[in-house]
Amino acid sequence: MVRVKNPQDFWAGLLFLVVGLIAIYLGRNYTFGTATKMGPGYLPTVLSWIMAGIGAFLALRALIEAGPEIEASLWRPQAFIVAAIVIFGLLIERTGLAPSVVVVTVVAALASREMRWVETAILAVGLAILCVLLFVKVLGQPLTIFNWGL
Amino acid sequence: MDIINNLGIGLAASATPINLLFCLFGCLIGTLIGVLPGIGPIATIAMLLPITFSLSPLGALIMLAGIYYGAQYGGSTTAILVNLPGESSSVVTCIEGYKMAQRGRAGAALSVAAIGSFFAGCVGTLLIAAFAPILAKFAEQFRSPEYFSLMLFGLVAAVVLAHGSVVKAVAMIVLGLMIGLIGTDTQSGVARFTFGVPELYDGVDFVPVAMGLFGFAEIMSNLDRGGDKPKTTAKITSLWPTREEIRRAIPAALRGTAIGSFLGLLPGGGAVLSSFAAYTLEKKVSKYRREFGTGAIEGVAGPESANNAGAQTSFIPLLTLGIPSTPVMALMMGAMTIQGIAPGTAIISDRPELFWGMITSMWIGNLMLVVINLPLIGIWVSLLKVPYRILFPCILVFCCVGAFSIANSPFLIFMMAGFAVLGYAFNKLGCEGAPFLLGFVLGPLMEENLRRSMVLSFGDPTIFVQRPISLAILVLSLGLVALIVLPQFRQTREEAFQE
Repeated sequence: MVRVKNPQDFWAGLLFLVVGLIAIYLGRNYTFGTATKMGPGYLPTVLSWIMAGIGAFLALRALIEAGPEIEASLWRPQAFIVAAIVIFGLLIERTGLAPSVVVVTVVAALASREMRWVETAILAVGLAILCVLLFVKVLGQPLTIFNWGL
Repeated sequence: MDIINNLGIGLAASATPINLLFCLFGCLIGTLIGVLPGIGPIATIAMLLPITFSLSPLGALIMLAGIYYGAQYGGSTTAILVNLPGESSSVVTCIEGYKMAQRGRAGAALSVAAIGSFFAGCVGTLLIAAFAPILAKFAEQFRSPEYFSLMLFGLVAAVVLAHGSVVKAVAMIVLGLMIGLIGTDTQSGVARFTFGVPELYDGVDFVPVAMGLFGFAEIMSNLDRGGDKPKTTAKITSLWPTREEIRRAIPAALRGTAIGSFLGLLPGGGAVLSSFAAYTLEKKVSKYRREFGTGAIEGVAGPESANNAGAQTSFIPLLTLGIPSTPVMALMMGAMTIQGIAPGTAIISDRPELFWGMITSMWIGNLMLVVINLPLIGIWVSLLKVPYRILFPCILVFCCVGAFSIANSPFLIFMMAGFAVLGYAFNKLGCEGAPFLLGFVLGPLMEENLRRSMVLSFGDPTIFVQRPISLAILVLSLGLVALIVLPQFRQTREEAFQE
């Protein structure tokens, strides 16, 4: 059984390898061209191969040379932060700026274990007002403030 | 004298009430985010980039530049008083600065940091004023092969100067180059890697990438480490350094300014590398090196001068060649593009009021920063009491609204979420975001110049070594590669980044 001695490099290598291979696959139909007349596929293909090559090298080297462990992750902050961003993307056109900011602030605040409800509620309303004032009133961005129609 | 004339033009443009206000605003924001750990200039400038759309070009650039060098001032405050780096460029200031604060010399350390920064900022600004026009004139002879070689040099330097693994830095650059190629090919009109998403036809927008990779990934990593920690702030008694302290700080500040001015020019250098290098240098050459680790004032004066000098001179490659050398400069380039200004050799001759206005505003800004940072220090310290659990939702909301208002498209928000996950993974896997961002920005430029060069030479790749300037740049790049391979240099490089 082969043991991974350098987890950071190993997974980074796999990531690069997979991205490289996917890019080679996706880019297979772009015209490669010649050195004189480089087609749209020339550089992407060359770079994809380099990428995949480095990835494979990193992953293989990680089996031989030891390296640092990957620091442990907490699932809670990551999940809530990503969820907050995605929810903003889903809400902004449906509910308008102010309600989205309130919801997103609460979801984001949940990422921290020290979250306090009253404090967060005040923050959410405050941020919503600030965003409306700054982005809509001062900067004149074409954002809807409220949209209750969904 | 030409330069005095030019500075006159600049002052006329930058000293208008509205531009002074932008300068002050930028410096205040810069100091604020510098003082606050957990948010840096990259995320902040990305956040404010969409806002600059409605400003005048000069006002926008003055404000964004102010944020960058302002952050260098603010960062030292937190480093000295709380032993936390407010900014990555003030990491080394913690070492001696906090020790000084423990000995009751916090005020002196703050003054020396601010005045050293001011001096370095003035020198940096003068250097830009003196050398940028000469460099731009020289660069007028550059054609595609020279530009391609120059960008290659930039990427090589970014690898050499990156922290940590060289192989991973190369991979990050290649990945950045590839993401940069997403979008419609300018020559053939073929849509590459767009997955049929119309938002991608014009290429991947820079702002969500920078926010995701730097802003959000940083929030996620901070929360991983447990978010808030109790901060104990050192007391400030007197801001005045003693005569002895001044005598020792001056040569260190001079050395720091010199090393920072030089390293700031290099791609991937900028403020962070400058401060590290200055600290290492002080430890080697100072007469008081035995005191290092117990609060030597040289260890504050040197790095703090260096990071500000580096922050200033890193504008030179962008303003003269149109090539951004650090992620922050890439954002500045984005700001110029938003305003319809093509960065490059022509800026100085075509838009003198813009170029000289920016330079003079930097000098004015540095002056403002001394005032903002020294007498008003108490205000900034009290801001440190804002807990992270309140701070990070604010950052998140501003990033989201900012990214959305670039194109009113939810797609950019989802893409930003993707890059946040990617950036977090990079952090965990020990891959650096900075080389990625450089590759991402330079990718399309490099491809264009490579293709043009090959058309120019009828497909003969030796064109890059036949043209003398291009050859010289390539030889320099090779020299850098040789440096990595040399075991001695490798060792010093590792030592330098260890500290």
